[in-house]
Parts: sequence; structure tokens; C-alpha cells
Amino acid sequence: MYSKVFSFGLKGIEGFPIDVETDVSNGLPHFEVVGLADTAIKEAKERVRNAIRNSGFEYPIKKITINLAPADVKKEGALYDLAIAIAILSCDDEMGLKHEKDYVYIGELSFDGSVKRVKGILPLLISARTSGFKKFIIPFDNLQEASFISGIEVYGVKSLIETISFLKGEEEIAPVKTCTFDEVTKNGKIGMDFCHVKGQAMAKRALEIAAAGGHNLIMIGPPGSGKSMLAKCFPSILPDLTFEEALEVTKIHSIAGELDQTQGIVSTRPFRSPHHTASTVSLTGGGSNSKPGEISLADHGVLFLDEFPEYTRHTIETLRQPLEDGIITVARSNATIVYPANFTMIASMNPCPCGNYGSKDKECKCSPSQITKYLAKLSGPIMDRIDIHIEVENVTYDQLKSEELEECSEDIKKRVDKAREIQLKRFAESRNYCNAKMSAPQTRKYCKLDAKGEIMLRNAFEKLKLSARAHDRILKVARTIADLEGSENIQPSHIAEAISYRTLDRKYW
Amino acid sequence: MSELKSLIVFLSQYDLTSAKICNIIDVLAKPSISAFKKSKNQFKNLINEKALNKMLDCADEAIVHTYTLNLANKGIKIVTKFDEDFPRQLQDLPDAPVILYYMGDLNLVNTQTLAVVGTRKPSNYGYMVTERLVRDATSAGITIVSGLAYGVDSIAHRKCLELGGKTIAVLGGGFDHIYPLEHHSLAMEIAEKGLLLSEYRPKMNATKYTFPTRNRIVAGLSDGVLITEAGIKSGTIHTKDFALEYGKNIYAVPGNIDSPNSELTNQIIKYGQAACVTQSDDILRDYQNLNNKESVFQQSFLDASDEEKIIIECLKDGMKSVDELTKKCKLSMNIFNTCLTTLEISGIIKRLPGGVVALN
Repeated sequence: MYSKVFSFGLKGIEGFPIDVETDVSNGLPHFEVVGLADTAIKEAKERVRNAIRNSGFEYPIKKITINLAPADVKKEGALYDLAIAIAILSCDDEMGLKHEKDYVYIGELSFDGSVKRVKGILPLLISARTSGFKKFIIPFDNLQEASFISGIEVYGVKSLIETISFLKGEEEIAPVKTCTFDEVTKNGKIGMDFCHVKGQAMAKRALEIAAAGGHNLIMIGPPGSGKSMLAKCFPSILPDLTFEEALEVTKIHSIAGELDQTQGIVSTRPFRSPHHTASTVSLTGGGSNSKPGEISLADHGVLFLDEFPEYTRHTIETLRQPLEDGIITVARSNATIVYPANFTMIASMNPCPCGNYGSKDKECKCSPSQITKYLAKLSGPIMDRIDIHIEVENVTYDQLKSEELEECSEDIKKRVDKAREIQLKRFAESRNYCNAKMSAPQTRKYCKLDAKGEIMLRNAFEKLKLSARAHDRILKVARTIADLEGSENIQPSHIAEAISYRTLDRKYW
Repeated sequence: MSELKSLIVFLSQYDLTSAKICNIIDVLAKPSISAFKKSKNQFKNLINEKALNKMLDCADEAIVHTYTLNLANKGIKIVTKFDEDFPRQLQDLPDAPVILYYMGDLNLVNTQTLAVVGTRKPSNYGYMVTERLVRDATSAGITIVSGLAYGVDSIAHRKCLELGGKTIAVLGGGFDHIYPLEHHSLAMEIAEKGLLLSEYRPKMNATKYTFPTRNRIVAGLSDGVLITEAGIKSGTIHTKDFALEYGKNIYAVPGNIDSPNSELTNQIIKYGQAACVTQSDDILRDYQNLNNKESVFQQSFLDASDEEKIIIECLKDGMKSVDELTKKCKLSMNIFNTCLTTLEISGIIKRLPGGVVALN
């Protein structure tokens, strides 16, 4: 007896259709899965058999062969259990299943016959929709995630029995109601609020600019100066995620299994802060199971790298491509996968290994060569991709206790949103969406300086001994500052302010 | 090249101390390489036999000649104690170097000179004070002498060059091993616009022992020695000791009494070894025939904008961190940052590590 049902597999963040073909024939009892299945799928044999039996159905004591086509693509994960079970059961005409070929089945089975949640439902459904599939049966627990995709019918099931009675037509299940993105985004604030950060006016202003223009930023300061706190507040002033962005972010989080069950969609910009002992692969993604890494999980959000020079040199250097292109290409022997990695990088570091260099009240114990070595860990090409450098100083006790009201994130965000709007209009025709990502020709086109600005920049280069690579960075940041002010052209004052955020280009270090 | 000079150049290849070389020359009636070869037996107590035999193999006028030619191609010139253009300040020193390698303008040693030395890791205070005093000394036409080290030394050299002044750097090693390596480009700039000096052959590495001996040349070459900031363990103490021995004027900038970075300067002021410097005139009054240039700083001060003037006013009672400054001058952050950059470009203020801003 032969039968065929559909399921979906994942490669990177894209799904591809899989035919689950079953042949049940006479012979010695045997169960075999072919089609480059990994161990989790091979083990489906036990789960499927027990689930069928424990659900009260008859498991055929025959020779069962499952083929997962296309046969030459590697498949992994336990999400084919449900499809395999249905395929086996549908071989039995007495079951009386109707229209079982209309559905795409995704789900993991447990021994008692219940259907368990799987990773990566959202990207699967999105790809399946584009491939023309209309009806889906997925685990009930994954329904939240599925509810954001319109134009398809998704049914959530809790157990194998429920699935079978649904397919027999004995039970009705309502397809999931699509909800709109706005409903989710309304609730809740993100991250910490800037009103809790006392002082640090310079850093706050720099972060505002970074948020407005999508600029990468590095904070340099002694331990305990509040660098991490500032970074944690940063997401609260970022513009809201658009639905398309949210879908992309959710896709990645869904694959990585990091999705919040109750939410179903990532509605706020992600904030990722991997520890500096993180391995390179955990950051970039890849590995034998090809999972997206931290930088992809930070897509459309913030990647915060605390103690930046403490990361291994190799790890830091791998950030080059993603910082430039907004994607990471992970090539492994069996596949090459492209994950999106469009993040804003916020890094923080101490001015020297002991952290007290330049401090007013603590003595630095590092030798000049130690400091040079420490700073040398940040290579030119990496610093080249960081637009804003600022120094963060220690907060005094008086500042900590001051009752003075600080500006709250909401107000800052309003200005950021306005500046972003201008940028979206400016880059409407290109794939770009913020000043930081301007290409060289775009920089020339949109960052024109008048004569005064030109003189200012030239003087700054000569007097302050800025390095050449600072030139375009300064222009881009100046563009954002002008946007924040709603100014059409870049004024000399904007250039001057942009220059003040180039601490590390100075020779005084 | 005289026979005496080639003998000295030859001997200096073998890391003999200046005293030993002088000894050898004294022994020989008519010092030359051939004379040295002939009377080799007389030097057995000066040089160990193995080294002596090795030396004698290469003791050849022609070899020395090619050697000096090679150095000349690299721009390195040689002057010995017995030459006419040898710095006369050094000539009379009890432990004068017998040979000097140099790049640049040797005549600078005949100008009025001030050595500026101090800690390798100055505080912001030390940084500002060094720059300020060097600025005034340079614009008065004084040549700045220092040792190209990290910290005060390099700040002094750089500030002097920036203002178009003349500066002399005395190296602690040979020209091929400039230490620290980061200052290589600075050294080349000094060689071009000032004078780079070393008593060591170019291939000689700088060691722990060469720096203190280098300091005697720094002290010897200068009319006065200014110590802007130095801790008690600083190598600057050698320069001070040599300067005392040679009877040079010593100037020291006082610091906070609890600052470890100013321990040495405070101490020598206390013991009366150094003149206490609180303004550049304390140094300049000991020099004669100085330029009387009006400082650039004063002029640019006048065309500052209103906001810029507020910032300048706030900085008048000492350097401040950016946070303190914003709080005090109550300007919005964007205007504040703009002013900071324009003030910095016009050279009125200086930004220092740790987010500190100071008047220049």
C-alpha cells in the first residue's frame, strides 16, 4: 500500500516542501526511513509506533518504508513525526481518512499520542504559503506564531486522535484567527528607561544619534561607569519594528527555538548581549545543526558586546562581513546558508586593562605598552565600521542621588522616530533604510557640504589629526544629526558635533 | 676621516664604554687602527682575549670606511669627542660620550636648550602642564631636549614640532632599534626637523641600563632641566641627579601632595634642588635674548561665539569632565558638542583621556 502526504523542511531560514511517501507491504516487520534523515528522524520510528498504538489505533505489523523526498537534501529535527504517522495510518483504507492530502503536517509526537511544539513554524509557513500550500495542521502550542500569517488556513491539534477525527470529518476544528501586528506591539515597554540614568548627557545624546541613524557605537569608560546600563536602555529609544521586520526577526527566533510561547511574534527589537567567552560559531551561527547565531538573533535590534577587547580577535574579525552587508554567510561542507544580521552594534570597553586610565580618583596600573596592546585588539577594519566613539565617565555619588529629572525614553524616541521617517523617505528607492548603511555614492549624494562645512572638516583633520577613515563616518553621523534637527542640509555645526564623537581616532590615547 | 676617528668608530662597534675607548686612545701615542693592532698586547687587561682576537680580525681601515659610508647613506652621521663640532657642553663632562651618532642638524646643540622630562604615564594634569610649558618655551625660541620615551618626553617633542619649534631627542638605543617602536615616525620627524642623537651604534638594542646613561646626555646637553611630573620611582631621577652633578638649572612643577605622580617633583622642590615652576616665566627668566611672540592662543580667544565663551569661562578654574561641564554651562548637548569641537580646532581647549576638557 502506498500513500503520500506533505510536510516542510527548513534550510537556513527558508523552508522547502517535503513529500512523505509511505509504503506498507507484506514481509518481516520492519521500519525504515530513507532520504538523508538525521538521527532525530530515524528515531521517529519509536515515537510514531508508540504514539499510534497508545492512541488506540492499529500499528501495521508489516514492512514499512518511509521516503522523505527530495532524497538528496539533508533533513533534521522531529517535526516530521506527525506527517509520518498520518502517512502510515492513511495506508489503511479502513481508517476512512478524507482529504488527508490537502494538508501540510508539521509536529512532533510523544509516546502518549500528543502533538508537541516544534521550532521554526513561522518561516516554514511563510515559505509554504509562497509555494502555494493553503492548509496546515500544526501543533496547538505553535498557533500563536502562525496567527500572523494571512491567506492560509492553519489548524492547531493537540493529539494524534484529534487529528485523525478531524481528518475523518468527525470533529470540527476552527482555523486560527489571524491577528494584526498592532495588537501585539501595543503592550509593554522595552528595556530600561533613560530617565533612570543620572547624568551622562554626552552618552545619551550619542545613543540618540546612534538610534536615529542606525550607527554602530562604542563606549569607553572605567568599570562601573554605567556603560551596560546605557546599552540596556538603548532599545527603548529605537523606532518600533515594522511588520516585515518583525516577521524576519520572528523567523530567526523561531528557528533558534527562542520564541516566547505566549507572544508568537517578536514585537520588540531584540537585545542580545553574548558574553565575551562566546565562541565564534555561537556568534555567527552555523555548526552541525546550522542554527542562527547571536548576531542573527540581534537582527533589526541591538547586539551589545560588553568588554569588547576581551573577545577573541578571531571572533571580533568575523563581525566584519555582517557589519558591512547586514547578512552572514555560513558555509559548511553540506550547505551554505545565509542568515540576516542587520543589527546595530553597541560595544563597550575599558580604556586600559585595569580600567582606570584617565580616571580622576583611581590610579591606572598599566604600562604604556600594555595599553597599546589592549587597544590594538580592535583592528582598523573593525573600528572602521564603528561610527560613534564616546567616553563615559564615572558617576559621582551626588549625581546618583540628585533629584533632577532626566529625560525619559519616550521623548527621545519621538525625535528618533522623526529622524527615521526622513531617512525612510530619502532611501525609499534603495534597499537602504538608515544613514549608517549609506553606500559611498549615496554618501556623496546626500552628505554634501557647503564651503564652511568643508573648511571645518579640513581644519579638524589637520588640527585634531583624525585618521582618513573617519571622513565618511563623520559625514554619515553629521547627516543623522541634521535629520534629528530636521535640517535639509548639513550645517558646519552638525559636522562639528559629529567630529566630537571620534574619540578613538585621536592621537592622545 | 682622520685615523683617530676611524679608530673610535671601529672600537665603538664592540660595545666598549666611552671610558675604555678613551683609555685605549691614551695608551696609543698616535692613535689609529694599525697602531691598535700593533700594540694589542697592551689591552689585555682592558678587553678579554676572546673579544680582542675577534676585534683584531676585523681591524681594517677599509671596513670602517664602508661602514661609515653605509651609515651616511641612511642619513646617519658620526661625530667624536675629538672633532670640532662635538657639542662642547658634553666635552667637559667627566663621563662624556666619546662618539655620537646623529641625524639632523647638529648645530641645534649650540642654541639655548631646555630638557623636558618626566613620567612615562602622565596624569591629565601632567599632560596639560607639559604642553603649556613647552608651548611657551618653544615660542620663546628655546630648543626642547628629551628622550623620545612614552609620556612627558613624547608630549614635549610633539608639542614642540607642532608649533614649528626645534627639538632634540636623545635615544636610549641605536637608530635601528628605536624604542618605543610606536615613536618611530615621531623620531623620523625629529630627524628631519630637529636632531636625533644616540651614543650607541645603530644595531644596539635599548636595555634597562642604556636609559640612565642616555639621561646624562639629556642633562648634559641642556641649559636647564624641567621636570613636569614624575613619581619617586621614575627614571627621571637619573636625569635630575646628572643635572645636579653638572650644575644645571633644575625646574620642577609642583603637584598635589597626595598624587603619586608628583612625588619626585614635590620632593626636589622641598629639598631645594629644583626651582618651583608655577608659570613659564619661572623658567624663561633664566634665558636671554628670547623671542617675544604673542601667543596664538590669545588671538583666537577673541573671536569665540557666546556659547563658546561660556565654556571657556567654566573652564577657567581648572579642567573638568564633560559631565561637570555640561551641568555647569547649561548648554544643550548638541550645541555643547559643536562648541567643543570648534574650540578644540582653534586650539583653545584640549580633550584628554577620561572625557576631561581643559584650557590649553
